[in-house]
Formats: sequence, structure tokens, C-alpha cells
Amino acid sequence: MLSTIALDTQVLRPGLCTGCGACQGLCPYWGSVDGRTVFFFDCERPDGRCQRFCPRMPTDLTALQKEFFPEETILPEIGPFRGLYLTRAADESIRAGAQHGGSMTALVELALKEGFIDAAVLTRSQGGLNPEGVLAATEEEVRSCSGSSFQVPPTLAVLNRALKEDRYHHLGVVGTPCKTLAVYKMKANPLPESGSHTENIGMVFGLFCGWGLDWDGLNALAAKHADPARVSHMDIPPSKYHSLELRETGNTVSVNLDEVTPLVRSGCRCCADMTAEFADLSIGGARSADGWDTDKGWNQIIVRSEKGQQLLDLAREQGVLEFKEPMEGGLEKLKKASLGKKRTAVRNLRALTGKAEDLGYLNPSRELFQDL
Amino acid sequence: MTANAPGTVALMQGNEAIVRGAVEAGINFAASYPGSPSSQVLGMLGKIARERGFYAEWSANEVCALQACTGASLANGRALCVVKQNGLLCVADALHCAAQAGVKGGLVIVSSDDPSAHSSTNEFDSRWQAMSAGIPLLEPTTMQEAKDMIPYAFELSEQTGQMVLVRVTTRVCHGRGNVVLGPLPEKPRALERVKEWDRMVCVCYMHGPALQKLEELRRRFEQSPYNHYEGPEAPEKLIIAGGTGRLYGQEALRRLGREKETGFLSLGTLWPLPENYILKYLRTAKEVLILEEVDPFLEQAVQALAGREGLRIKFLGRASNAALPQVGELDPDVVTSAIARLTGAALPEKRPSSETELPVREMSFCAGCPHRATFYLLKRAMRQEKHPGVVVGDIGCYFMAGQSAGQYAWQTCNCMGSGVNVAEGLGQLTNYGLDQKVVTMCGDSTFFHSILPGLVNAVYHNANMLLIVLDNSATAMTGFQPHPGTGLTAMGDHVKPMDIPKILEAVGCQVEVADPFDVVEAEKTLRRLLDQPGMNVLIMRQPCATLMTKERSKKPVRVYVDQDVCIGDGCGCDKYCSRVWGCPGNTWDFKKNKALIDPVACVGCGVCAKLCPSGAIKVEGGEEA
Repeated sequence: MLSTIALDTQVLRPGLCTGCGACQGLCPYWGSVDGRTVFFFDCERPDGRCQRFCPRMPTDLTALQKEFFPEETILPEIGPFRGLYLTRAADESIRAGAQHGGSMTALVELALKEGFIDAAVLTRSQGGLNPEGVLAATEEEVRSCSGSSFQVPPTLAVLNRALKEDRYHHLGVVGTPCKTLAVYKMKANPLPESGSHTENIGMVFGLFCGWGLDWDGLNALAAKHADPARVSHMDIPPSKYHSLELRETGNTVSVNLDEVTPLVRSGCRCCADMTAEFADLSIGGARSADGWDTDKGWNQIIVRSEKGQQLLDLAREQGVLEFKEPMEGGLEKLKKASLGKKRTAVRNLRALTGKAEDLGYLNPSRELFQDL
Repeated sequence: MTANAPGTVALMQGNEAIVRGAVEAGINFAASYPGSPSSQVLGMLGKIARERGFYAEWSANEVCALQACTGASLANGRALCVVKQNGLLCVADALHCAAQAGVKGGLVIVSSDDPSAHSSTNEFDSRWQAMSAGIPLLEPTTMQEAKDMIPYAFELSEQTGQMVLVRVTTRVCHGRGNVVLGPLPEKPRALERVKEWDRMVCVCYMHGPALQKLEELRRRFEQSPYNHYEGPEAPEKLIIAGGTGRLYGQEALRRLGREKETGFLSLGTLWPLPENYILKYLRTAKEVLILEEVDPFLEQAVQALAGREGLRIKFLGRASNAALPQVGELDPDVVTSAIARLTGAALPEKRPSSETELPVREMSFCAGCPHRATFYLLKRAMRQEKHPGVVVGDIGCYFMAGQSAGQYAWQTCNCMGSGVNVAEGLGQLTNYGLDQKVVTMCGDSTFFHSILPGLVNAVYHNANMLLIVLDNSATAMTGFQPHPGTGLTAMGDHVKPMDIPKILEAVGCQVEVADPFDVVEAEKTLRRLLDQPGMNVLIMRQPCATLMTKERSKKPVRVYVDQDVCIGDGCGCDKYCSRVWGCPGNTWDFKKNKALIDPVACVGCGVCAKLCPSGAIKVEGGEEA
């Protein structure tokens, strides 16, 4: 199908787009406005990278996993798995600006310093609203991207442009599960004649993700409860608190989660990946059985690849990360949460297609999901 | 045009013949608003006005033109008003009022119709306006008649105290033919002071006298030299033709060899009908074919006449027995087949004109046209809106924006000057749940023609909308006639141009000016204005590319494609320059499957170089537009 029509009819109109930016930065046709993916004109090519890279176009996840990860490491609930760790950045200044323990910032800085990567494609939210994708080539630039965001900006547009430029040959990418899936679809290099230089993708760092929010909706919500320009941090404490916290120059405003859930991006409701299963390492906030306070300020890390393991080992060796005994039953809890997201996605996809056997973009990997 | 050489035969275009007719009539005054196919008339009159001692103007619109002519008539001047079909509809109120008030000096309106709408948005028939207003209607067929009917119309107008409508069509305006010139008057008609008790007033009690004038005209038309009959004394088969259909009909009759037994009645005076003259041939007719352009005007009038007289006749025509197509202009083929049907003659075999069909081409903006950039940016801006906005078109070159040339820009377009009003309606509804941005546009000539009242209305009522003024410093569509923004007049005088931004600001609009060729900045400005409530105006300023080429004011740059860099139709481009941007200067090298610039078409605006995703289009030397 003609590329713009394919994505418009199969991804945009059904509300599946995550806004990751994988279709952007390649051509003059695609762009993004306030988190919405738009096409300016119709492209009449029957095939193209935009539809091949899109994480919401049908993908054979099993085949893609097998292409990049040893089969024996793949767990059905959370994907490729070499170990689960509880860590935080040793550097207090990193932790001060971090969402949880600052492990991601510390690891990306280390990867840059040690030559695992020569630049990184990151998301800069500065803690507040309306984040943007950036290409960071120095530790300072990496540091400026600390802290996470509840909006998904089209960061992969920055990756596409950096690949095209062919200046960096070991690019690191940090992203939510939709983005890292797209990056592995890029790594598979479906249209080699397009000259994408996808071999320049060095390491992929995944972020655990429950969902992202609609940009306009979150901005309106923030404006209702605080001064949007001064919001410096957002977080969601464990479910029993049922709230979203907005930090506004020192003060923390607690917003009832009932106001937030309607703003979840429709595309996120059909996402079956919580732990960013396509990555060298995946990192999220720690959620121990003892609750919020025990592990607050720590991260959990899933190591998925050999390269990921090497980087983590080096971080331990150099004292870049502090390690804590993994919580008891932590892996099982993670698997359970991950499966919960998969179940929700399958339920919502069935509702969208109107057929129990039709899982939309997950159809090529139906056997992974049909029994959930 | 101004040679005093009676009897000389000159090859003239219909529009030129009309000008010559006006000069022979010794006009004092001429006013017009440009409109194809008669745009050239006032342009030529403006050039000779000083020499011949009359005044000529390109008025801001047709209403100004006709009403100025009635002013000239009050001072006993001979006044010629030239409009196209839509212009005549614009002046309907002025026309009907002036028709009841009557005239003093002769007042002639030339209205040009464009059957098949070759250079119009629609094909209207001016003739109904004559019937409706109750004024005499003439229609020339040949170039000679086009010239002769102008002095004849002035005479009629003065003899009966009524204005006269002369209807012409595209083929008459643009066709060429021999014209025997008449003598020129030594000087224009003498003006007379308007006396204290002179009255030209439209009041109800003038309706009766106006109808009496019409009856007087009917009597005169019974004897008019512009109505002819050829054929048997008492024809059974009769053709009645008015306008260009007459020439096609005469040719077809000869081809079919049926001219002896078929009656052929040519009418040059179409309203009021010379009833007795027509009845003389109608009474014996069993079958009648009516040949006329656009609507069944004559057909219905003759049918009414036959009905009144109790005649049993089978009619063939545009509205009768599907003898002629109901839309589009007549041509020798359709007329020949209608006459074959009337006369029972065999239709000659038609040879195909060509083995290969010409490709269908859409109309498009010229190479380097600033409108292309404006509508490219508008589409981008609309697609970035959460709910893509609604765009209302207007009349000018930018009418083509509704097609691929303007990225299928608009959803609706009515008549000239309508855009601001249609948008005002939509803009008001944005306060009542319509969650779309509303955009309309107008050219600089249209702005003065009929946008101003709508602008006042929209500002006064605080509509949420954006008006884009496409300021290309020209009335480009009809051939660069001056308008109040240009600082030029029809007679070549330099005057103080009207300042559109100042007018807009004075009215109370929020105004910004952008250069559509500066695509990045212009898009930012456009999007900023779209987000602003109230009445916003964006002036997209960049001179018409044709004007630039005409004036050769700048040395054009050389724009070319570096084919080593061009990715052609690969992913990441898909022929963005020639397919999406679509400038006639951006073509395609089919041998190498790469983009190419046609150096003949390219005027060097350089916009495509800014848009090329690979940076393969280079600009070299010269000064950028």
C-alpha cells in the first residue's frame, strides 16, 4: 500500500501511533506536532522505511528476537534475560536530577566514555513538559537528559537524521518499548537500498513503560494544577497512592490518577511491552514488595545481551553504579506486571478489530499472545 | 484603431472591432473591470483615450464601472461599460435601477460570455439580464457586426432613452475577421451641463415608461438591419440563430446541401424579440431548430411566441428534443448533426482528427508563481492542525489551488469576493462547537473588487478566521491590468497606490506580512496566525513570476539538479520536486530516473532548492527572487 496511506489507515486513524518518530527524519512527508504524527503530503511509494520501521505495523516479534538474541535467553513474559539487578548511580549529582536512581544516565555516560557508543540519541524533558529528542555526544549533553517524561516525543526522528548523516558509527539509543522495538526493526535493515546506515546503531537502552500521555491533555492537566512552565518533575508512586505527582519549584502537587488515565495515549493501550524487550539493557524504577519507600531512588535493570552485561560489569568494576541485593520475588513480580500489560493490550486490540483471533499489528506473532 | 480611413478593410479581432466601434461612436467615457474574454477592450481604449479625447478607467469593480457610466450619461456623455458574464451579475442591482431610470447620453454595456468556461469558473448567459431588466439586447456574430453594433447601440440608446446590452461570446471576442472601417467623428459627443430639473431616478412610477421604451424598441427591431432571412418564402424547416451558432449553421447547411429548402433566420436583436418579423417565417414552419450559445434563451422566447399564436411546431434546441447539448459551447460538429436531424440529410462521416490522444493536463500555476509556495505552506499548516482546517477559495489565478497545483487547497469556492464572507460564517461557528481553523484567501485585485465590505463585516463581528492576501502586485489572471494597489491607471497615469496593510490595520485586522518564498519563516507566521483568535490577515507578498519575467528587473539565477546527489524516486523523496511541489520548471529525466530542471520554464525562484530533501538542487549566480 502507498506508504502514507498505509500508516494513515493502519496506524494513525485506528489510534495506534505512539509518536515514537521512527517514520520521521527520513523524508519531507512525515513530521510531528505536539506529539501527533502528521504527514504533510501523500507519498506514492508502495513501500518505504516509514512503514517498515513503525512499531505498530505488523511485526513478527519471534523472528526479530531470534535474529538478535540467543533463543535460550528469551523468557515469554519479559523477553531476552541475562539477569535482574537493583542499582543506582554512585554519583549523587546524577541521582539529584534523576527519575529514580539515575542508573540510565550513569550507564550512558559510561558507555560514551568507554567507547561502547560514540553518541547517544536521548529524550530531554528537563523534568517538565513537552520533551524533545536530542543527539548527545558529550557527558554534559547526556547529563542534561536526566529525568523521564510522561509524553513520548518523536526521538527516533533524531536517530534517523543521525544515521543519514553517517557521522557517528556507534550510536546509542535510549527509548521506551515502542521506540526500542522500532530500533530493532531498523537494525534488521528491511530496505538496504535506502542507504539508512542502520549498522551505525551501537547499543540500545530500554526504559520500562506503562504508558505515555496525550500531549494536549497533559498540558491542560498540568495547567489546571500548576504553572506548566515551572513543572520540573513528574512521577507516579505505587498504585496504592493512585496519584500523579507534579513537582513545581519545590512543591509537590498530587493529582488523582482518575484525572490522568483518560489522557493515556490510545496507542499505548495496545502496547504489549512493559520492559522494553528489544534492548541491550532495560531500566525502570524499583518497585519492591516492601513498597515505595524501601526502593525509592533505585532502579531495576534487566540485562538482555552480552554487550549489556559487559557494560554493567564495567559499571560495577568502576564503581559507577551502586548495587543492592535484588528484592525477593522481584523477578516474579516483574513478570506478573509485564504479563498484565500484555493481557490489556490483547484485550484492547481484540476490541479494536472486533475479532478474537485478530490482534492487529501483533498478528504475525499471534501464538505469543493468543492464550493470554 | 484610430485611423480615419472610411472604407478601408482591416483584419480585426472581435475585441478590437468593439474598440473601433466605440471610437467611431465618439464615446466620452469607458469603464470596466477585467474579465475574459473581453479584457483587452478597455486596455486598448485606455491607450487611445487621450488621443481621442475620452476618459477610460479600470474600475475597482463592475458596479463602480456601470454606475460611473450612468454618471457620464447624465451629462449627456456616451458611456461604454465592459464586463464579463459574472461582472454583469455583479451589477444586477445597478443595472435594474438604471434601466428604470433611463439614460440621457447613450449607455452601452458590452458583456462577454464564456461558453464552456474556457477562462471562467462557469458559463452563465448574460441575455437573461436584458430580459429581466427590460433593456434591449444585441448580439453580433461577425467582427463587422461587433464593430457596427456599437455605434448602432449608442444611437438606439439615445433615441429611446434606454441603455443597451451587447452580448458577445469568446469566439466573437477572440476570433478575427475583416472589418470595413467607418468614419471617425471629429470629436466626442458634446457634454451638456446637468440641469437643475434633470432626473434619472429609479422609482416605481418609471416602470411603466420603461416598458413603453421596450415596445418602442420592439418596433424598431422589426426593421433592424441586423436581422436577416435566407431561404424559401414559406419554410417548413426553419433555423433561428443568434450569435456564433449562425456561422456554424450556415456552413453546415451548405455542407449538407440543404440551404435551398431550409429557412435560415439570423437575429442580431434578441430582446425584445422582433415578433412579427419572426412570425412571418414561423407560421409555416413544422420544425424549428434554435442555435444559440449557453442557455435556451431564444428557444424559450420563440416557443412562447409560437404558443401565443397557437402554432404547432416541433422544436429542436438545447432544451428541446435533445438536439443540442445542454452545456458547453456550440461547435460545427454538434450544429451539423442537429441540422442533419432537422433536414433529414445524412451525416457526413467524421474523420478522426488525430491517431494519438493528447494527454489530459490540469491547469497549473506558472513556474516560479508565488501562489504555489503559499498553498504548499497552507497544506502543511493545515495538516499540522489537530483537526485539519477548512479552506474557502475565491476567484483569481489562485482558483487553481483547488486542484493539484495548490495541493487541493480548498473545500468551497463561490464567486469573486465570496471567500471572506463564507469564511466569516464558518468563523462565527467556531464559537458554537466547530473545532476547525477557518482560512480564506484573496488576490490584491479581488481585495479592492469585493473583499472590503466582507472584511468590515468579519472584523466588526469578530469572526475567528484567517484571510491570506496573495499580494502579487498584479491582476495576473486577465493580463496585468492595473488595480488600485498598483499605482497605475488605464490611461497610463502614475497615481498614489492604495496600501493594503494600512487599510487592513485601519479596519482593525491583525496583520502580518510574509514572503512565501521564505518557506520556513512564512510557515511559522502562518501557524502563529492560525492560533490567534479574531480576524487575522496574512499578506503573502511576492511579485507575480510573469511580471518578473516581463520586467526582467533581476538577473535570474541558474537552478540545476546535481544528479549525483538526487535520489530520484527512492525512499526519502518520491519525486518531491516534480510530483509534490509540482512546478513546471521541475521535470524528470526518464533516462536516468533523476530530477531535472527545465531551464526554459524555470524563472529562478529557487524555492525547490530549499525543499529538496537531499540538497540536490543547486542555485547559482544572479539575484534570487
